Amino acid sequence: MDFDAIVIGSGISGGWAAKELCERGMRTLLIERGRHVTHRTDYQDFAAPWELPHRGQVPEDEVRRDYAIQSAGDTFNSATRQWWVKDSEHPYLTPEGREFRWLRGYHLGGRSLTWSRQTYRFSDIDFGANKKDGHGIDWPIRYTDLSSWYDRVEVFAGVSGNSEGLEQLPDGRFLKPMDLNCAELDFKRKLEASHPSRRVTIGRCAHLTEPTAEHIELGRGACQMRSVCERGCGYGGYFSTLSATLPAAQRTGNLTVVTDAIVETLEYDHGKRRISAVRVVDAKTRQRRSYQARVVFCCASTIPTAQILLNSKSEYFPKGLANRSDQVGRNLMDHVHGVGAIGHVPGFLDRYYYGRRPTGILIPRYANVTEDAQGEYTRGWAFHGRGDRPTWNRAAEMAGVGATLKARLREPGPWQLALSGTAEMLPRADNRVTLHGLERDAWGMPLVHIDCTFGKNELELAAQANKDALDMLLAAGCTDVRPLFPRLSPPGASVHEMGTARMGHDPSTSVLNRHNQAHDVPNLFITDGSCMTSSGCANPSLTYMALSARAANYAADRLASGEL
Amino acid sequence: MDTGNSEKLNRRALLAGAVFLLGGAAALTRFTRLRDGESVADGPAFTTERFALLEQISETLLPATDTAGAIDAGVPAFIREMLAQWGSQETRVEIAAVLDAVERHAWSRFGMGFLVMPLERRLDVMKEFDAARIAAHDGAYRKFKWLVLIGYYQSEIGATQELRFELVPGAWRACLPLSEVGRASAVY
Repeated sequence: MDFDAIVIGSGISGGWAAKELCERGMRTLLIERGRHVTHRTDYQDFAAPWELPHRGQVPEDEVRRDYAIQSAGDTFNSATRQWWVKDSEHPYLTPEGREFRWLRGYHLGGRSLTWSRQTYRFSDIDFGANKKDGHGIDWPIRYTDLSSWYDRVEVFAGVSGNSEGLEQLPDGRFLKPMDLNCAELDFKRKLEASHPSRRVTIGRCAHLTEPTAEHIELGRGACQMRSVCERGCGYGGYFSTLSATLPAAQRTGNLTVVTDAIVETLEYDHGKRRISAVRVVDAKTRQRRSYQARVVFCCASTIPTAQILLNSKSEYFPKGLANRSDQVGRNLMDHVHGVGAIGHVPGFLDRYYYGRRPTGILIPRYANVTEDAQGEYTRGWAFHGRGDRPTWNRAAEMAGVGATLKARLREPGPWQLALSGTAEMLPRADNRVTLHGLERDAWGMPLVHIDCTFGKNELELAAQANKDALDMLLAAGCTDVRPLFPRLSPPGASVHEMGTARMGHDPSTSVLNRHNQAHDVPNLFITDGSCMTSSGCANPSLTYMALSARAANYAADRLASGEL
Repeated sequence: MDTGNSEKLNRRALLAGAVFLLGGAAALTRFTRLRDGESVADGPAFTTERFALLEQISETLLPATDTAGAIDAGVPAFIREMLAQWGSQETRVEIAAVLDAVERHAWSRFGMGFLVMPLERRLDVMKEFDAARIAAHDGAYRKFKWLVLIGYYQSEIGATQELRFELVPGAWRACLPLSEVGRASAVY
C-alpha cells in the first residue's frame, strides 16, 4: 500500500478529513485536481483599490469568453478571478431553459478560500424533518451524534457568534461576537417587539475575533476587519484549508499533497469488497496513474463526487460505484436564493462605523418552528442581512454633478437595511446529476449533465419569505421598502449544492450509512455535501466539517481495530 | 532574434503617432463645425479632441475643490486605459457616443462646443444632461458615470484625500459619531 488513506479534494471537507486522519497517525495522500496554492504569497489581499489592475474589474470580453457563469458570483473581480474556473475550459450541460449555476474553483483549498464563512449548526428540527413530513428519507443521525463534533470543529476553526438559546439553531463554542451597528440594533429592538417569535443575531462566522494559543500556533492571527476575505487572508483571520487544516495535517509529518491530479475512477475489487486504486489523470501531462490506500475519502464536492462514482462502473456496479440504490447523482439540492427586501432606515445620520465587518446579521428560521406556516408549505428559511451606509458607489444611479456631488459623497449615504432569504430545498429524485454518454472534457472525463429545478414547496417558501422581508422592514419603520432581487436565482446560486450520495438507514434507498461510509464499499467514505439527506436552511459548511471529522475518526478506529 | 518584433512595434508606434497627429488636426476644425446630428465617433476611440472632451466632462462632474478634481486624480487617463484594456468594443462605442452626445447638447443649448464654453456653462450642460440621462435609466451614461466615479474614488487621491481608506482597519467599531470617523469610507 502506498498510503493508509487517500483524500480526494482539498476544500473544507477534504481538509478536515486529511487533518484528522493525519493526526490519527495515518499516512495520508491528499489529491487536488487544481493547481498548488501557497498560503499568503498567492493572495492579493494587500493591494489597495488603485493597485489592482483596472481597479479590480475583469475585462468585459474576458468575462464573456471565459467566466460567463462564474462571474455571476458575488465576489468575482480581478483579485478573486484566480479562485474560479474558466467556464470555457470546464463546461457542463443543463437542459434547455433549466439553468443550474455551478460556481467553483480548482486549486488547493477549493472553495474554503471563497466561502462566505457563515457557520451554523443543524438542529434536530433539521435532522428530523424528512421523517416528520415524509419528504426524502430519514437521516440516520440526530443532533446528539454530531454535537461533540460540532464543538471540536468550532474550537479548532474559531467561530465568532452570540449564544441565543434557540432550538432551531443550536449554540456553539463561540469566540467573541462582532457588534451590531446602530441601524441593526434599532432593527433588532423593533422587530423583536413587533414579532416576538423572531430573533435578530449577529452572523456566526469562522473569524478569529480572539485567537487562541492553538490558532496562533498554526500561524493564524486575529481578523483585521478588512473584508477582503474572498481574495484569501494572509493573517489567517478566517478558517480555510490553507490557514488551518492543511498546516495542522502537515505538521504531523503524515501528509503528502498531490495537485493537478484529476480523479477519473475508483477501481473496485469485488473479491475484497474494496476500492483497490484511485485512478487519476495528470491535469498538465494528461498521463494516467493510480494510487492505493486502505481507505478512501471522497471530498470532491457534490457534483464531482457523483461524477467520479458514476464514472466508476464495474461488472458488480454497472450503474456506478456504490450505486446499487440508484441514488448516486439524485436528490441534488441547493438553497433558494434571490428573495428579500431592502429599505431606508430613517435617522442616525450622525452615527457611523469604523472598519469593515466581515459578517452580517441573521434572522434564524421561524416558519414552522416558532410560528405556524402562513400557507401550504413545509420547512422554512432564514434571513441574512446587513445594515450599512452606502458610499460613493451609490452615485452612478443618482442624478448630481459638480462640487455639490462631491460634497454629498464625502458623507456616507443614509442608512439602509437589507434582508436576503435562504430557504430550504426538499430532496427530489428528479433533481439529478448524470453523465453525458458522449461528450467529454479536455481530460477525458464524461461531462456532467445537471437537471435541477425548484419545486412547488420551494416556490411557496420563496413567496412567503419575500412577503415577510417587506413586512419586517415596514414594521421596523423603514421607508422606500422594495424587493432586493428582481427574480429568484437559479438553483446553484447559493453555492450550497448537496445531496447526490445521501446518508440513510437503508442500503436500497441511500448511498452512505450513519458514518458516511458507503453501504456497499466499506473502505469508501464520502463527507462532502453529497452526503446530505436534507438541506436545512443553514449554511452547510460547518456540518460538513463535523461530519468529516467524525467519519475520519470512525475510519481510523475501525482500521486500528482491524475491522476495516 | 527580436528584430522582427521590435520593428513591428516601432512601426505601430509610428502609426499611432500619425493617428494622434491626424486626430489633433481634425480636432481644430471639428470644434468649430460640429452641429446637431454630426458625430466625432468616426475615428479611433480617443482622438485628441475626444480626450480633451473626456477630461473636461470628468472635471465638470468631479471638479477640483479643496481636494483634487478628476483630472489631477488621473480619471481621464484611467478611462482611456479602461476602454483600451477593459471595455469591449460595444462599451468603447457606447462611451464615445456619450461624449459626443454631451458635445451635441452643448451646441444645441448654447451654440458652442463644450471645450470653449465658460466653466459655469459646462456645469449647466452637465446638470441637464446628467439629470435627463439618469431619469431615463440610460445604461451607457450610467456606465460612463461609474467609470468617472470609480476612477476618482478608487484612485489613491480620491480614496485617501477626498474620502477615507484604511488598508488594515484592525478593529470593528460598530457605532460611533460620524464626526469621529470623519468622511465616508472609500470601500464598502
